[in-house]
Amino acid sequence: MSATVAAPAPARVFGSGIRRREDPRLLTGTALYTGDFTLPGQTYAAILRSPHAHARIRKIDTARANAAPGVVAVFTGADSEGVLKPIPCAWLIPNSDLKTAPYRPMAKDVVRFVGDAVAVVVAESAHQAYDALELIDVDYTPLAAVVDPQKAAEAGAPQLHAEAPGNIAFHWTVAGGDIDAAFKAAGVIVRDRIVQQRLIPTAMEPRGAVAQYVRATGELTLWNTTQNPHIVRFIMSVVTGVPEDRLRVVAPEVGGGFGSKIPQIQGDFITAFCAMQLGRPVKWVETRSENYISTTHGRDHVQEVELAATRDGRILGLRATVWAGMGGYLSTAAPGIPTILHGLMLSGPYQIPAIKEDVFGVYTTTTPVEAYRGAGRPEATYMLERLIELLADEIKVDPVEVRRRNLIPPFENGHAVVTGLTYDSGNYPGALDKALAQVGYDNLRQEQAAARAKGRYIGIGVSTYVEICGLGPSQVAGAVGFQGGLWESAIVRFHPSGKVHVFVGISPHGQGEETTFAQIVADELGVAVTDVKIVHGDTDNTPMGWGTYGSRATAVGGAALAVTTRKIKEKARLLASHLLEAAVEDIEYAGGKFFVRGFPDRSKTIQDIALMANVAWNLPQGMEAGLEASSFYDPPNFTYPFGAHIAVVEVDPETGHVELKRYVAADDCGHQINPMIVEGQVHGGVAQGIGQALWEQAVYDPNGQLLTGSLTDYAIPRADVLPDMEVLSTVTPSPHHPLGVKGIGEAGTIASTAAVYNAVIDALEPFGVRTLQMPLTPERIWRAISQSASAGRKEA
Amino acid sequence: MDISGTYLFNAPPRQVWSLLMDTTAIARCVPGCRELRPVGPDRYETELSVAVAAISGDFKGTIELADKLPPQSYKLIVSGTGRPGFVRGTATITLAPHESGTAVQVAASANAGGLIARVGQRLLEGVARMMMDRFYQCLASQLDSGQG
Repeated sequence: MSATVAAPAPARVFGSGIRRREDPRLLTGTALYTGDFTLPGQTYAAILRSPHAHARIRKIDTARANAAPGVVAVFTGADSEGVLKPIPCAWLIPNSDLKTAPYRPMAKDVVRFVGDAVAVVVAESAHQAYDALELIDVDYTPLAAVVDPQKAAEAGAPQLHAEAPGNIAFHWTVAGGDIDAAFKAAGVIVRDRIVQQRLIPTAMEPRGAVAQYVRATGELTLWNTTQNPHIVRFIMSVVTGVPEDRLRVVAPEVGGGFGSKIPQIQGDFITAFCAMQLGRPVKWVETRSENYISTTHGRDHVQEVELAATRDGRILGLRATVWAGMGGYLSTAAPGIPTILHGLMLSGPYQIPAIKEDVFGVYTTTTPVEAYRGAGRPEATYMLERLIELLADEIKVDPVEVRRRNLIPPFENGHAVVTGLTYDSGNYPGALDKALAQVGYDNLRQEQAAARAKGRYIGIGVSTYVEICGLGPSQVAGAVGFQGGLWESAIVRFHPSGKVHVFVGISPHGQGEETTFAQIVADELGVAVTDVKIVHGDTDNTPMGWGTYGSRATAVGGAALAVTTRKIKEKARLLASHLLEAAVEDIEYAGGKFFVRGFPDRSKTIQDIALMANVAWNLPQGMEAGLEASSFYDPPNFTYPFGAHIAVVEVDPETGHVELKRYVAADDCGHQINPMIVEGQVHGGVAQGIGQALWEQAVYDPNGQLLTGSLTDYAIPRADVLPDMEVLSTVTPSPHHPLGVKGIGEAGTIASTAAVYNAVIDALEPFGVRTLQMPLTPERIWRAISQSASAGRKEA
Repeated sequence: MDISGTYLFNAPPRQVWSLLMDTTAIARCVPGCRELRPVGPDRYETELSVAVAAISGDFKGTIELADKLPPQSYKLIVSGTGRPGFVRGTATITLAPHESGTAVQVAASANAGGLIARVGQRLLEGVARMMMDRFYQCLASQLDSGQG
């Protein structure tokens, strides 16, 4: 933005906004996605899905479908019963009375959401498979549906699973400090009932899989659009019985995930099952309409919250009850989202002496809910940021000032909050100040007052946030019931020519790690960034990794990479000392060269060393050949990025239309490897968060029919309705991370929903509107204004 | 989804009643109806082809007549399934003398599921109303043209 030219610093590739090497192939349409793979002899699967939200299957007649042209086979739940195991839930929250119920790859007796898989047709072409679906006759006895999580938890609600009485999947509590004392001492208490509406992730590429099973070897290969191929291999092995060493999972190009490609869904297992039954490759790719019912959704909380504070605006305590809809079954990571990733984050960037939250995970006759960008943290941030606004309104203090009175002061190495977490580092007032200065807050308030006098309704909305990223220490993962580790690994290999191959367990899908990881390696080793190739996504040629989600790819995978390159450097230094005939202590390394201290001409480039290590003609006693290293990095703590976002909107009182006038984001993700990619991540996240505030909502009718079943009715953000984003940053390195980075993938989504919502409510202040249900559609706003106008007339 | 309507027929209730019970006339007037096959007393199987917005497809279903009080009222219970999803509904039809003819009042409530609900829901009510209008207008016109 600024045109000021500073003295040229020595060019360092770490921290420079170089262009993404992924983009040329993505932008020219030459990248290969799962659906692009076609194998010899391939067949096509189409899945019959329940049109009922809840029903008993009385009979399935597949005879006509079986006889249809091109049909190779038709399978139902009865065929897969006993062959496939139920799909496991992989986040079993302890001390929560968790009740898992069997989640079959194909339903057998009862269907529990519109979209539950009932049968599959495999045919020579996709069209033949879809045509034959129409010929399957299923005789259903409809059962009562329930879509609202709070209602599903009430007595008398339709029951989904015998294993989970009252539809309660779990009841988890977080408590810290003396909450009763806080509310007793309160000078003011504010309350709200918040509905975090259900969202549909809408990745550009829907889910899909291509499975190939070689009977002669018993090997199963699965091309799968996933965020975590190694977890897919693990779970696929459990469900299909194919040993992990005979299972290869390839995540080719992946067209977006946002959490919806963490879980393994029915279609993945059905595809593998068909390939194994038939001995022929099988491809299944969702249609968009199928994607909307079969791939997981996000959010779906009903929150009843109250905040206790002093009359001068100091927060004393926060108490909440949350009903989190889980859908018909527990998806892979679902229970962890409204609990660990939500409840533990309820202190946000504020000093809150007492917190208590009860979270009920509730089965409903809807598509299963999973992580969706931000996953749990937007639901916590929104709760806090709304309550602060209500508090400010109640005590008539500027909402920014109320935030200031409660923000945790800057800290560099550890701050404990009452929920039990220890934040790594933070400067929350710093980020807030930066955003306020950029937007010109004080002037803006004056402009707002002047505009109101002329009948124009401008609103200013602020949201601060802190989030938990870089998941995480494996010991903690185990303690909170995550059925896996959360470390990452990397292999760095120098070829004789000095070029570098890097193999990572992380599986990027749009975040640009092929570029940023190369920047890390190039910076650490002093090689050209173009000499580093990042290999990922194929379980047969990459080391184990736990996936890309929770903004952990760089925070954990990047750390693994940094640690690995440092091992390489150590070995290279030993070899340099041998070749230069100098003591190791006297060898220095800079700019890709090892040299003897004081004698810069007595040097070997890292490429010289790589060659000598690979040919192994002259190695020191005991040194192994090759220049290669690997590491397993298990982080000592999570990372906690933070920031402050400010939205400026104008509401048209005649139509209820919201115009986004400005959007300022000040985020702190520690050191930035590539500021351009950071900015891009913020842009995408902010867009999705605004989507929740203003446009997006998955709507079910009372019978459990998804009414927003296509892009005609589900309103995702479009470029033409988004403002220019003013993206700023502060830098507070993580004290425990080898590179001081924190993670930026979800930040935008976490702050922007509350910022935009607060701005709209601020604009509506003259109408006395204090709370509205998201999304803030023109109709809802117009109705609220109209009601307030008619109430005003009555009073007058 | 609840829809209702009133249709005027130029004939006394008894004549309209027999028209409403005439399967040939019904089959002719239900839009997209390919077949109406009696399978028991007051019970028929039917094949319909229906289009709602971008969704079209064949429905197989049953139609049942119940609570018959000739020539005053009866109940229609309809259920159909097909590739686009399913439809279930009941309608109460009441006949009353109106001037020299008959006013036929229809009060129906229906549920739809599957693709037709997911993608076509915003047009569903309009399509249902249109089909109902066309059905009764068609029957009324048969009466006018002496076919009934």
